[in-house]
Parts: sequence; C-alpha cells; structure tokens
Amino acid sequence: MNAVYVHIPFCRHICSYCDFCKVLHIDNFVDDYLDALQDEILSTYDGELIKTLYIGGGTPSCLTSKELIKLFRILENFKKTPDCEYTFECNPDDITDELLDILVSAGVNRVSIGVESFDKNNLKFMERNLDYDDLAHKLELLRNRGIDNINLDLIYALPNETLNIVKSDIKKLISLNPTHISTYSLIIEDHTVLKTNNTKYISEDLDRKMYDIIVKSLEKSGYKHYEVSNFAKPGYESKHNMNYWLNNEYYGFGLGATGYKAGLRYTNTKNLSEYIHGKYHKEEVLTNIKEQMDNEIMLGFRLLDGIDVNLFYDKYGLNIQDVYPAIKELLKTHELRYKSGMLSISPEYIYVMDAILVKIL
Amino acid sequence: MELNKTRNFSIIAHIDHGKSTLADRILELTGAVDSRDMKDQILDNMDLERERGITIKLNAAELKYNGYTLHLIDTPGHVDFSYEVSRSLASCEGALLLVDATQGIEAQTLANFYLALENNLEIIPVINKIDLPNADVDKRIDELVNVLGFKKEEILLCSAKTGKGVKEILDAIIERIPAPKESKTDETKALIFDSYFDSYRGVVAIVRLFSGSIKKTDKIKMMQTGEVFEVTELGVNTPAKESRDELVNGEVGWVAASIKDIEGVSVGDTITTLRAEAKEELPGYKEMKPMVYSGIFPIEPNKFDALKEALEKLKLNDASLRYEPETSEALGFGFRCGFLGLLHMDIIKERLKREFNLDIIATSPNVIYEVLLTDNSIIYVDSPSSMPERVKIKEIREPYVRANIFVPSEYIGAIMKLCQDKRGTYESIEYINPTRADIHYELPLSEIVYDFFDKLKSSTKGYASFDYELIGYKASDLVKMDILVNYVPVDALTQIVHRDFAYERGKKVISSLRKMIPRQLFNIPLQASIGAKVIARDNIPELRKDVLAKCYGGDISRKKKLLEKQKAGKQRMKMIGKVEVPPETFLAVLEDKDK
Repeated sequence: MNAVYVHIPFCRHICSYCDFCKVLHIDNFVDDYLDALQDEILSTYDGELIKTLYIGGGTPSCLTSKELIKLFRILENFKKTPDCEYTFECNPDDITDELLDILVSAGVNRVSIGVESFDKNNLKFMERNLDYDDLAHKLELLRNRGIDNINLDLIYALPNETLNIVKSDIKKLISLNPTHISTYSLIIEDHTVLKTNNTKYISEDLDRKMYDIIVKSLEKSGYKHYEVSNFAKPGYESKHNMNYWLNNEYYGFGLGATGYKAGLRYTNTKNLSEYIHGKYHKEEVLTNIKEQMDNEIMLGFRLLDGIDVNLFYDKYGLNIQDVYPAIKELLKTHELRYKSGMLSISPEYIYVMDAILVKIL
Repeated sequence: MELNKTRNFSIIAHIDHGKSTLADRILELTGAVDSRDMKDQILDNMDLERERGITIKLNAAELKYNGYTLHLIDTPGHVDFSYEVSRSLASCEGALLLVDATQGIEAQTLANFYLALENNLEIIPVINKIDLPNADVDKRIDELVNVLGFKKEEILLCSAKTGKGVKEILDAIIERIPAPKESKTDETKALIFDSYFDSYRGVVAIVRLFSGSIKKTDKIKMMQTGEVFEVTELGVNTPAKESRDELVNGEVGWVAASIKDIEGVSVGDTITTLRAEAKEELPGYKEMKPMVYSGIFPIEPNKFDALKEALEKLKLNDASLRYEPETSEALGFGFRCGFLGLLHMDIIKERLKREFNLDIIATSPNVIYEVLLTDNSIIYVDSPSSMPERVKIKEIREPYVRANIFVPSEYIGAIMKLCQDKRGTYESIEYINPTRADIHYELPLSEIVYDFFDKLKSSTKGYASFDYELIGYKASDLVKMDILVNYVPVDALTQIVHRDFAYERGKKVISSLRKMIPRQLFNIPLQASIGAKVIARDNIPELRKDVLAKCYGGDISRKKKLLEKQKAGKQRMKMIGKVEVPPETFLAVLEDKDK
C-alpha cells in the first residue's frame, strides 16, 4: 500500500460533460469538508510509506490560499518516500505565484492540467475557457519553480469535431512539450448537461480515426503510448495511474473517492453532508481471489506492455493461461501477444480491448 | 329427456361482431350464470381468447329456457379455425348469424354462412350492436336480404351489450330451429366434435349424440380405431361441469373414460357402445392439414426439454398442432411446427411465452410445397432448407387459395394493386351495397403468409376483412434463396421465394442483418444467393472502438459492470460460424420484411 488519492470536489463552474463528484465552490463548506477529510485520513491511514500522492477533483486549485494551506497541512500526515510522485490537478487560470509558493513548499512535483481542447467551438461546447499563449506562460511559471513534470489532458470526439481540429489540438499540445499527455474520447454520462441536451456520439469510425491520428502523432514526437489513453516521455509514466493498472492497493480519501485495501474495494459517499458528518464509506465490496485476478486482467491489459505473467504467478500461485484458457486461442489469432514474460493485447486491438476482454473473462 | 324440447345451436359471426358477448347475455338470461358471477365472455376459457376477443377452443353449454333445453355450442371466429367451426356446426340444427350493425357483412360472416348452409342448418340472422350511435340497421337489413337472401321479417335486432332483443332471440331459437331428429335406431352414435386434456379425467371428449345413449360404466368404442374404453364419468356443462348418469340422443355433453392419449380421441370419429353397437359411423370430417410451418427454437439451448414438454401439453388440447424435432446449425435444437394458419401460429407462440415462460425464436413461416422430382416422384417439403437441389427438381408447386376481401369501394384499387403485387389472379368482384365490395382473387398462400395481412391492413386503414379457402397446388417459378453470413449459409434464414421477388427480399434480409448484427473484430460479408449466384450483398465493417477511454481515479466498478453486461450479452449470442448473432436478429428479419 503506497498510493493515496485525495478528492477535492469543489469547482467554480461545472463543465457540460463532467459527472465527477463535484459541487460548486461554497466557502463555508470547504472548511468543514477539510475537517472531515482530516478525520477520515487520521482514522484510516495506517502509516505506510507513500510513493504517490494525487490530489484530484473537482478543481483543487479553486480553493483559496488559506484553504490550500490547511489542505496541505492535513496531507503532511502521510509519510512520503523521497521520490514520491506528488500530483496536483490544476486549472491554468489558478496558476499564480501565490499558488506556486504553496505547491512548492508542500513538495508537489507534478501538475495535471485539463486543457481538453484549444478549439473555440470545442471549448464552448464543454463550457470551458483556455488560451494557448496564457497556458504557455503558466507552464513557464511552473517550470521556473522546478515543477517540470506536467500532464496535459485532451478530450476528443466531440460532436462536430473534425480530424483537422484533432490534428491542430495535438500539434499545439506537443508544442507545449509536456512530459505526459492523457487523451479521452468524449463520454456522454448520465446526469450531465450533455445528456440532458441529448448530445449524440460521433461515429465509431471517425472516433477511431481520431485516436489513430493521436497515437501516431504523439509517438512520432517521442511520447510512449503506454496505456490506452496515456502517453509519456520516457521515464515519465504516471506512477499513480500505473498503480491502478497494476491492480495494486491504494487509499482513496474524500467525497466519492474509491480505495482498495486488503482485498476490500470501497467507495465513499457522494453526499457532501453525509461526508461532513463522518459517514465516509458508502459501499464496501470484499473481492475474492477470482475477482482479483479478473481485475488484474481488466486493468493490466490497458497497458500496452500488458501483464507480467511471472508477477501474476507470484501473486496468485496460478498460471494466467490456466485461469483464462481463452488466452491460448487469442495468441494464435494474434489478438494477444507474448514477449519476454509480458502478455499484452496487440496494439491494433487496444482500442477494441473490451471485445477481447469478454473473450478472456 | 324430451327431444322436441331440445335445441342445439351455434353462434357464428365475423371477428368482433359480438359473438361472445351475446353468448354471455344468453347464459345470464337463462340463469346459467348468475349475473354477479358474470365474467365477460364466459365461454372463452383461455386468457388469450379473452384478450384477443376471439374464441379458439370450442365450448358447449347446456341451458334451460321456458321448459326447453338449449345447447349452445361456441365456435371460433377466425379463418384458421374454420375446420373447428364446421365441426361444431355439424353438432347443431341451427345457428345465429350475427352481423355488426356498424360494419355489416364481412369476410368471415360469409364464410361462416356458407359453412352453416353446407351443414343444412336453420340460420337466424341477427343484427347486433344496434345501440351504437353509428349503427345503420337499414343498410344491414338490405345487405342480409340482397347478399345472403334472407327475408326482411326473419331478421332480428339486438344489442348483446345491453341485453336488448336477446329474449326475442331465445324465442326464435325455440320457434325456428328444429328439434334433434328422433333416431330410428337404439344404436349408440355420438359424434366427437372436440376434446381436451384434463389432468384428473384424462382426455375428455365433447360429443353430440345422434342416436342411442351413453351411460356411466358403458364400454365405449372409437369406431375409427376400434379402441375400447370404459366410461368413468360423463355429463354436461351448464357451463359449470355437471356430472350425469346418461347422455341421450340429441344431447351435447362430455365423456371421460381414462383415456391417456389425445390421439385416442380423434375429432370427427364416432363413439358407440358395446351394448348397442352401431354398424356405420356418422359422416366425419376430413382432417385439416397444417399449411403453415415454422421452426421454433428456445433462445437458451438448455430449454429444449422445456419446449418439448410445452408442445406436448399444448398438443393435448390442440390436435391440429404438429411438431417434429429439427436441428438448425444457427439455432440449435428445436421443432418444426405445423399450423393451420398464421393466427394459429401466433397463438401457439404466445402461449409458449405466457403459459410456459419460454423465450423462443420462430423462423420465418413458410407453406408446404409439393415438389415433383426428376424421377417423377412427388415429395412434400415443409422447410425451405430441406428443399432438394435444383437439378433434382422438375417442378415446385405451391398451395393456392381463393381469397374473399371485403372493402369499402374506395379501396378497391388498392386491393387490386396489392393482390397483383402478390401474384394474384383476379376472379370477380361483387358489390354488397353501393359502398362496399367483395373482391375475389386467387393467391399463392405463401404470399399471404409472408406479409399480406400487414399490407392489407395498411393499404385499407384496417377497413378490409379477409377470408380464404385452399383450392390446391399450382406450379410456380420458385427458387431457394440462401443467406450467407461470413460465407456460412444460415439454414434458419433460407427462404423459398418466387424468382421475381428474390432480389427484393434478399436485399431486405441483408439490410436487417446489417442492422442487427453488431460489429465484430473482423469484417463480415453478408450475401443472399440463389445457388452459386449472389443476388444481394453488404458487409458489416469490423469493430473500430470498444473501450472505456477513461478509467476514473481507480474506480473500476463502472468498467466492470460494462464488461459484465457485455459478457452476458455475448453468452446469449447464437453462432453462425465464428460470427456472434443476437437471437433478436432472427425476429427482426421477420418483422422488417414489410418495411
């Protein structure tokens, strides 16, 4: 157990596609929320060394300086390794010298920024703002203060989006030279503005073309495609996300957060008032060995490198191909491949991996 | 029992003209059923009958009225069951011919009228629903007089709903319908006109006695089979089942004799007794052969035995249902079932679903073909996939019907176009009155089975009524059309079609497959072919995206649910070669045909 996720559910504005656990920033709630967060951490954290700490949202950067100082003081409870990956999700508008002072003194060494798009119409559709020059300036500020491990998020496959828009967005992202890029095909979730507006998906074929363009462009520019939606400069793969894909345990703190400890998968309440009153855990599911192996498959195959079969054996005392006999057949049809101890989905099938997973599970 | 105080009668009518409602009112008026216990349409036992407003299985009730004993024998109102109608009519001396005051004579009014004439019945014409605001009694009287040749003063008026005129109908039954004839002999002759299975009594025969009597503990003999049984119980329905010691000439009732097998009681057979054995049987009926066939398969392969059991049970009450095991590469183990017609098929399918809780796939219905082979032998083919190779066939013949279609005159053009499109041959047209016509066409039954009903409905806004009788086989230029998915022929989708229609129908099947089969990890060619010649094609492109782009903050529950759903979907898929096909595909191919 060496990973921690902390959820800050507050936002200044709710984007049209977002179904994350979030509430509009209302001052008097933040203080109570942070108190409850402290209680949850103190009552649950067992004092392990933490290798990756991730503060996500919501928009953590929308907290006031005072609130942020309080938050980081609470997080000082975690014992971090010296090389701990410490990520803070950020809105470019919020990046100021004042914020940077706080982040740097807290030890934050990685920042994740939701760019989503540079295209005017896309941004309008998502109800977001972004200015390329301003962002470039903010990245410079970050780097000047020693935070050079930066992730930029991109959303594609929006209604009316063309291949040219995707190409242009990707080009701009690359020009900003982040260490890590996450790209997500739009999901129209329940309880979002998009769903209410009856937004329709673009065609599967166009979506795939966009994905192929993204993969090709990023690989050409020196980014390693290491997970379905994630790309990194060598050595900059997100430790935090890798921990998820490797089906390792992690703490989840805060509203709606999920965690995994000692075979128990838990999900926190999404009700702010419940949370503030100390009722953190809403659901707890104890996973049996078979379910743990299923999760290993489901998560591990998201990685282009796939699953380490020896590690699987060490963990469960069983050969992966004996537990999942379909694997042998899929190796014959080249839907899976096996190379130096790693079993993976062939890259041409990674974007249809669910169809492969249902054959295996 | 006094024979001259007995009257046996049926009610015959076009569907929805109020037959069952009138039966209810008669039961109420004769006190057979207390009005407090009155459930609408008491003679219709099955839920399905009540829901569809039609009577499928016959039922008989003994009623008392003014010192007379009346036997009301209910009849089905649909063309598929005209055989059963003629069965019950043979047990009566008279019939009420019911006509809806708002609609007038329809196709089955006429069909039933002729059946009653053939059986030499006294027919009492009754105009029903006279209470409705749009009732046009004068017009109906004219129709009955001009088309069916009744005298104006013979015609009775009623509203089965309100009960108005029902007493007059009962009086007319007594006055006009002759009493059963005295028999010149004491020999026992009882006509079996229906049977059903009762889990306590075994197979129960519903009979009309034409001479002699049957008593409890009598040894009875089925004259066709020679089988002998001992009567355990007999009686009448009032309509509640009532046991008696004896049934005598002129009576209608039921007989139980611990008969295990429904085949042991064949409808149309004559029952006699060993103590007064008859030498000759009563004129029976010609056996009605199934004309419409369809493959029925359980969606879940492990439900085969349940389906088999269900069909066995349905067969106990429905001698006209035929089935034999069939294996389909695509659909697995099931049964090829034979039905009297489309309605009969629909009813069986519905009952399998409702009463036996079975999810089934029924293949596209087809008729039974007469095939003349090159060696001059004749075979009958009830399944398109078992049609022999073309080189072995000299000629394919298909069943033809004579159709009577009743429509308001403004739809005559539409009907003629429809019949022409369906390879019909025009015979004649008769005007029932200046605004309504009865059009006669000869049509291939296969076209009626295909989508004639739906087309008829849509091209006449539902104002047409329709009836047909089989007239025999005719040679046609028919071909076997195969459907191939990823180059694998799908036996369950094979069709026999007229050569001129093959391209159009092939295209339709391909387009519904295109819609229904989900994209898979490889490209799937779809083809319709006649022999080696492909007449229509399309393809389902390979799957391009099937992944959750984002796995939120380690929350795997959503992805898990999604995969579980996908997996459950995959498990119910039918396999055609390596292509996964949702079971609904086979239904969609059926439903898409008329679009």
